[in-house]
Amino acid sequence: MKALAQRFAFIGWAARYVWSAWAGAAGLFCLAAAWQAGHEFYGSFILPSPLETLQTLSVIIHEPAFVQAAKETAERSLAGFLLAVGFGTTAGAIAGYSFAAMRLMRPIVTVILGVPPIAWIVLALIWFGSTGGSAVMTVVVAALPISFAGGLEGVATRDRALDAMARSFGAGGWMRFRTVTLPHLISYLFPAWTTTAGTAWKITVMAELLSNSGGIGGELATARALFDIPRVMALIVAVVVFALVTEYVLLQPLRDRLERWREAGLPWGIKR
Amino acid sequence: MKLALEGVGHSFLGRAVFENIDLSLHAGEVVALIGPSGCGKTTVLQIAAGLIEPLRGRVRRAYRRHAVVFQEPRLLPWMTARDNIAYGLRAAGAARGLRNEAAERRAAEVGLHLRDLDKYPAELSGGMRQRAAVARSLAVDPDIVFFDEPFTAVDVGLKRVLQDLVIEAAVRDQFSALFVTHDLSEAVRVAHRLVVLAGGSGGLLADRPIEGRPGTRSDREIFAIVEAWSQDAEFRELFDGARESVS
Repeated sequence: MKALAQRFAFIGWAARYVWSAWAGAAGLFCLAAAWQAGHEFYGSFILPSPLETLQTLSVIIHEPAFVQAAKETAERSLAGFLLAVGFGTTAGAIAGYSFAAMRLMRPIVTVILGVPPIAWIVLALIWFGSTGGSAVMTVVVAALPISFAGGLEGVATRDRALDAMARSFGAGGWMRFRTVTLPHLISYLFPAWTTTAGTAWKITVMAELLSNSGGIGGELATARALFDIPRVMALIVAVVVFALVTEYVLLQPLRDRLERWREAGLPWGIKR
Repeated sequence: MKLALEGVGHSFLGRAVFENIDLSLHAGEVVALIGPSGCGKTTVLQIAAGLIEPLRGRVRRAYRRHAVVFQEPRLLPWMTARDNIAYGLRAAGAARGLRNEAAERRAAEVGLHLRDLDKYPAELSGGMRQRAAVARSLAVDPDIVFFDEPFTAVDVGLKRVLQDLVIEAAVRDQFSALFVTHDLSEAVRVAHRLVVLAGGSGGLLADRPIEGRPGTRSDREIFAIVEAWSQDAEFRELFDGARESVS
């Protein structure tokens, strides 16, 4: 009985989540309309129409070369994302707990943040050559500060009153982290993680294009050399779709599930 | 003797809050600790509960488990009322079935409905949250419960209900309690013994038993005791707002 009720609750949640995509779709269609207007003004050579682009996209997704390139880019972004999120969040959380660590690490992160990603690509090219390693490294370096800041703020702003409550019941450090700090931390980490996921795609493509190391960036470089503008647009759309899928199919549902308690506190009418 | 504070003193940033406090708690005894605001009542409680280490003196404990009811409910917003009530048991390593059973029993004792147990704190009223906080402390079967002005934020009617709940639970489960409050009539209502903490880094001003047993005193008797003690020099500080603004 309870399992059944839970299943229904899950279906209801999933249906609501999918249904809420209409609003997002409406926004995207507005963008497509502006795009079409630009196409009619400047012509196909400068800006191919959305329809043309989609047709090209439907052709190239069947090319083995594109599939291979997309796989490479996805792997590199994922590796970069995981490394950036892993190191950034851990270091940020440590800095949140220890002020000494924070004072030590903050300037380092500021320095990393100050160096432009393009400079990292140059360095990565020298260190790793024309391989996927340079793309991964650039993603890690460019995206790490965001997770660091999220982890730091999340831990530093944890509720000390709740922590004292947990200590009064004799909860150990690990249990206090899991039940008091972590749920609070999550709400700081998700914005950082979604930003990182988007950044990971963009920077991977940029690094691939500049380091000539295959992937969608490599495809873009070839298409640019051949002045194949519809193909360029189709590749851009493909990257955007990947980024949207990462955020709305992978990360947001996870967040929704983890933060159900937050929705419970909202009054009727402002539920998303 | 369950708990004894011996010559305890504490200061924050070099400024002494109180000095040389001796306080003991016997089995099944409810002691009310009262004092003007800012005199360090909560600090005494936190030292007794082991949440802060005293700078001077020592604390002797002869019990298994304690629980604290704070001024605010301090429920974890991401856990349902059920999981919140069972939190202390989870910290103690109790199995899930046992926790669930204890949570339901304790919730019933404090007047929470079964259907409220799956709600998050944000969905509960202020009174229900404080009830859940009381249930959470009772769920660990404590030998001592520390109450830190627990019912200051609830309305007068509910305050009585919650006080009665505590009195009843103390008799049923036979725990000792240290009940910090700034309200003399609340102290007289719930406690066996009354301890007055002086303001301005003093020590204990008075330590006296309260006539009758908690739960058996009528409103008239409570009123008479409060009225008589208000005239007392030892209690004058509690009612003298002018002193606080001077110091």
